Amino acid sequence: MLKQCLRLFSTAGARLGGYSTVQPVHHLVKIKKSALMPKYDEVSIPKDDIESVGFRPTEIEQDRVAEHYRNSLKSDLMLYFYEHDAEVVRGQKLRDHDPTSPYALYRHKRKPRGFGRPTRDVYPIGPTNIPELTGISLNLYAKDAHVYPWLNISTSLQLAQITNVKPKPVKSKINDLSWKVRMGKRCGAKVELTGSDMSQFLLTLTELVLPRIRTFRGVPKKSGDKFGNISIGLDPEDVKFFPEIEHFQELFPNLFGFHITFKTSARTDDAARVLLSSLGLPFENAPAM
Amino acid sequence: MKISVQINPPSILCSSIMFAARKTNLAAVARTFARGKKIQNKKQGVNNASTQKVVNQLSALSATKKQPKLLKLCPEDLIKHKTITNAWNVFQRKQRTKEAEILAKQYESIKDAMTELKELSPELFEAALKKERKFFPLEYRVPVDYPPRNPWNYQVKKL
Repeated sequence: MLKQCLRLFSTAGARLGGYSTVQPVHHLVKIKKSALMPKYDEVSIPKDDIESVGFRPTEIEQDRVAEHYRNSLKSDLMLYFYEHDAEVVRGQKLRDHDPTSPYALYRHKRKPRGFGRPTRDVYPIGPTNIPELTGISLNLYAKDAHVYPWLNISTSLQLAQITNVKPKPVKSKINDLSWKVRMGKRCGAKVELTGSDMSQFLLTLTELVLPRIRTFRGVPKKSGDKFGNISIGLDPEDVKFFPEIEHFQELFPNLFGFHITFKTSARTDDAARVLLSSLGLPFENAPAM
Repeated sequence: MKISVQINPPSILCSSIMFAARKTNLAAVARTFARGKKIQNKKQGVNNASTQKVVNQLSALSATKKQPKLLKLCPEDLIKHKTITNAWNVFQRKQRTKEAEILAKQYESIKDAMTELKELSPELFEAALKKERKFFPLEYRVPVDYPPRNPWNYQVKKL
C-alpha cells in the first residue's frame, strides 16, 4: 500500500512492478518510442482496409461449399443430430486428492482418467453449435530433405501450387543421426486453409482427385483424433491427379505425399464423419444406405 | 608471377584525369590471385539443368512479384469504397441473424413435435428416439452452376 503511494521519479524502481497512482501518473513500463514514429502508422491499419499496404481482396468468387452448407446442410445436420432431452456429456477433468488428508492440501490435482489429459465437454447439438468444417491443414514431411535440402523448395512449391496459400516450413524436432535427422532442420512444409481456399481445395479433392485414385477405398475407419478431426494421407502417385500439377508435370519432377487433416467444430469423431460425408468425402465404413 | 597492371601517369600533369575511370585491369588481377576453383560470375548463371529447375521453382515461390501495388484512391473513391464495404457487411450481418433465427425456429419445432409425440403415442416416440447410424449419400453433391443433363442415374446398381 505504502509502495503505491510513494512517488517514484525514476525508472530505478521499475523492478518493483508497481507505479505511482498520484496524478500525473508516471508509468514505469518502458515504451519503445521508435515504434511510435509516424512512418509506422500504415502498419496499424487493419489488413482488410483498402488503405493498408497488405490489403488483399477476400470475396472475389462464389464459395460453393459455404453456400451449400448454409442453405441446405446446416438444417439437415441439426435434424440429424437432434436428441430429445439430451444432456451434456462431461469430459475427463483433473481430479482432487483425498480431501480428508492434510498432506493433499497444496498438492497438484491428479491427472484425469484415460490418457492423462483433460477433455472437453460434449454439448447436445442445437441451432448454435452445428458442426462445421473450420479448416483443412496439409502437412508435408519429406524424409529426403534431410539429405537434399533443396527438396524443401519443391515441397513448398507443390503445396503452394495445390492450395494457393504460402506454405510454412516444417522443422524436425528431434536429433537422430541414424536417420540423418537433425533438430531444427527444414524437412517439409505445411499449410492451414480456411475460407474460400479451404472450399476450393475440398472441391478439387472430392470431385477431381479422390475419384481418380484407384486404390482409394474411402477415408480409413481408424482415422480421427477422438475430438472431431479426421485425417487422410495422399501418396506421391496420387498427388499428380491435382489439376494444378497434372498439366505441368515436367515442372514438378519430384512429387511428395502429404497428410490432410479436416478440422471440424464437432466434438466427436462420429459427428465429424457425418459432417464430412455431407461435404462429399467417401468413408470406408459408410453404412449401407 | 607477373601481374599486368597498367598505372596511370601522375595526376599532377593532368588534373582532369583525376576523376576518370581507373585503367587498371582488375579482371586480370582477380584471375591471377584466385585460389582453387574458378569463381563463377553472375553472367554464367546455373549451367546444370536440374539445378536450373529448382532455381525456377524458387523464383516462382518468391513473393516479389505477387505483392500488388497499393491502390491510390482519391478521397471520393475511398468514401465510395468504404460505403459499399459497410453496406455489404451490414447486409451479411442481417442475413446471418435471419438464418440463425430460422434455425432456432426449426429447432423449437422439432422439440415441440417430439414432446407432443411423447404425449400422443409413447411407442412412436420410442421409435423416433432410435438412432440409425447413417452417412449422407455420395450422390448428395455440392451444387454446380452447370448441372449435367441427366443429374441422376436411376439404373446404377451398387456392388
